[in-house]
Amino acid sequence: MKKFILAAVVLLACSVAQAQIPSVKVENGKGEVVNTSSLVDGKTPMIISFWAVTCKPCIRELDAINDVLPDWLDEADFRVVAVSTDDARFNAQARALAEGHGWSDYTLLYDKNQEFMRAMNVSFTPQVYVVDKDGKIVYSHTGYTPGSEQELIDVIKKLQ
Amino acid sequence: MTRKNILIAALALIIPIAASAQQFGGTADQGGYLTGSFENNSIYYLEDAQNPGCYVPDGSFGSNSYLKADYYKGNLVAGLQVESYQPALVGYPLNLEGNKLSNFYMSWTDDDFSLTAGTFYDQFGSGLLFRTYADRTLGINNALLGARLAYNYKDILAARILWGMPRLGSDWKSVSDRGVVEWAGTQVRGVDVSLSLSSLLGWQGTMLAVEGSLLSRYEQIKYDMEEEGISPTTTGWSGRLNFEKSGFVAKAEWVNGGQWFGYYPTDEADYLKRNGNAQLLELGYSGGGLGANLTLRRMEWMGSKINYASVESNNTLNYTPALCAQYSYMLTNLNPYIPEVGSTDGHLTSGEIGGQLDVYYNFRRGSAIGGKRGMKVNLNVSTYYAIGEEGTAQMGELLWRNVNVGVEKQVSRKLKMQLLWALQQGEDMYHNWCLSNIVVADLLYKFTPKFSTRAELQYLSSADGMKDWMAGLVEVNMAPKWSVFVSDMYNHGTSKVHYYSVGASYTASRTRIAFSYGRNRSGMVCSGGVCRTVKAFTGGNLTISTSF
Repeated sequence: MKKFILAAVVLLACSVAQAQIPSVKVENGKGEVVNTSSLVDGKTPMIISFWAVTCKPCIRELDAINDVLPDWLDEADFRVVAVSTDDARFNAQARALAEGHGWSDYTLLYDKNQEFMRAMNVSFTPQVYVVDKDGKIVYSHTGYTPGSEQELIDVIKKLQ
Repeated sequence: MTRKNILIAALALIIPIAASAQQFGGTADQGGYLTGSFENNSIYYLEDAQNPGCYVPDGSFGSNSYLKADYYKGNLVAGLQVESYQPALVGYPLNLEGNKLSNFYMSWTDDDFSLTAGTFYDQFGSGLLFRTYADRTLGINNALLGARLAYNYKDILAARILWGMPRLGSDWKSVSDRGVVEWAGTQVRGVDVSLSLSSLLGWQGTMLAVEGSLLSRYEQIKYDMEEEGISPTTTGWSGRLNFEKSGFVAKAEWVNGGQWFGYYPTDEADYLKRNGNAQLLELGYSGGGLGANLTLRRMEWMGSKINYASVESNNTLNYTPALCAQYSYMLTNLNPYIPEVGSTDGHLTSGEIGGQLDVYYNFRRGSAIGGKRGMKVNLNVSTYYAIGEEGTAQMGELLWRNVNVGVEKQVSRKLKMQLLWALQQGEDMYHNWCLSNIVVADLLYKFTPKFSTRAELQYLSSADGMKDWMAGLVEVNMAPKWSVFVSDMYNHGTSKVHYYSVGASYTASRTRIAFSYGRNRSGMVCSGGVCRTVKAFTGGNLTISTSF
């Protein structure tokens, strides 16, 4: 056990390179396969949120962002990407929920066998990232407590 | 190989990769980068005479750890995962033990091709025919060890071919000299092809794709089974149709699961031999704030196992989840639905037939019903029957029924309210048929933008089984780092037992530490429509997770 933790510490100490958005295939809202690397447009940063139908805090976080999105967009230029990690069982439900929660301003992606989730090393949802215009991950946060979304816009504003 | 050696081997692999990441540093254009995660979940179990059936394992302790690292450089990715069970937490499959190098792979991808060697996950269609995946909540990780080649021609054709041996648990002993987990000795070969007719014909605004898969499986079986006509090799296939236009979605999947057999001794034979088959239809619409979806599924003999002899819950090679609402409230999850994939226990049941309807609607801000801040409503109806007569779509005995209605409303700037009513019919863990009415109120109040409290009040009313329950939860959140909660679930109908829990979590960036202490009822732990049974226990739970 001690050695296991040691291994983890060694890994953490070694990882100084800045992670980027990996290139993985996911589905978009229409059911078409898209590559996650195409999210990077060289112009605007983005918030990437991993969520699931069964994850209440995830939905709370995306609803909270959706409520303040018009105000945030007045302050900075960015995109919000909501990645559903729901598998075949909840995929259709995830699409219906996104519509019924009015997430029409989000880029909705569906990661049906959790390949994007694994490539980004997400262990728990909600997990949210801020990615700069070149695809570098500049901020991330696990879990959601009401109000923690404020940190996202603070980070985004610094990137402008 | 000893545990020590395995870890040294893993470190020997990781450190040069990590060091090179450090050396390149900075941006990925210059070189590569390393990313990974670590998770530990430990429970200290205590004796508790007040918790019926309370189980304390030898050593009173369980701990599951996962360390995963991936290195990216250009078109190449290499990664590994080490798992440690010291020992596995109560309720996890018994075939998970020790320290293991469980996953290791290398993959090369460009715009058209992708080649993977080592361990990988994949699924065909909805997973009814074949799915390998990892779910740490359930202790499932049936990654294939082998190779996969994927090719796509523009957005018209996508094809992949794979071969591999699925992982089953991690019985270390038989392959300790190789330092890898035990692979079940089952071999899988598969092909999956997807042709987009709409892209081929240049249609605009309409998506139509035809897909098909073929899966061949080899498993070593006993001689007497072969004598009964059971074949070590079996082939299954699936055909699929996907359609989307102007918010309407239709998906159809027809599956032949191949040979299925189960132990069922009669005068003539010891085994029952059948052919797995399933049909899935999904119809959906989303637009104008309305999201609706209808799913219908019929399946027979679809429990596809890696190893016919293992009874562990991670012995699975496909995905046949319960297609119904999965809740996140305590009382709505007391008796979850476990789908009937075909069983020989007691009387023969070939499978199930049923479906679910999901509707979400957003009453916009400013509308008559939506008011100043809008309102969200949702409805879920699901019902499943045992197949009445094998080989038909005839509905037999009712297995499960659920109706629920939820409303979500931002009442004021500070108060958000969610209300849920659910009616459930199904079997409880003691096989009592129960009809339950459940109501939940979930209230979130923000004192300041970063200081809030959330309360859940729940009541379950039933004349059957354990009768009435009540539950409550209070959570205090100090964003973005702290959250503390206290909850209790009380059966005042029969057992008079309190299932209390208190806990706190601290989050800093990508690291989260959570501690909780409380009583857990025996029952089901479910994730993604798949469940595992867990014994009752009382204890303290520490979870640490981080990613880098």
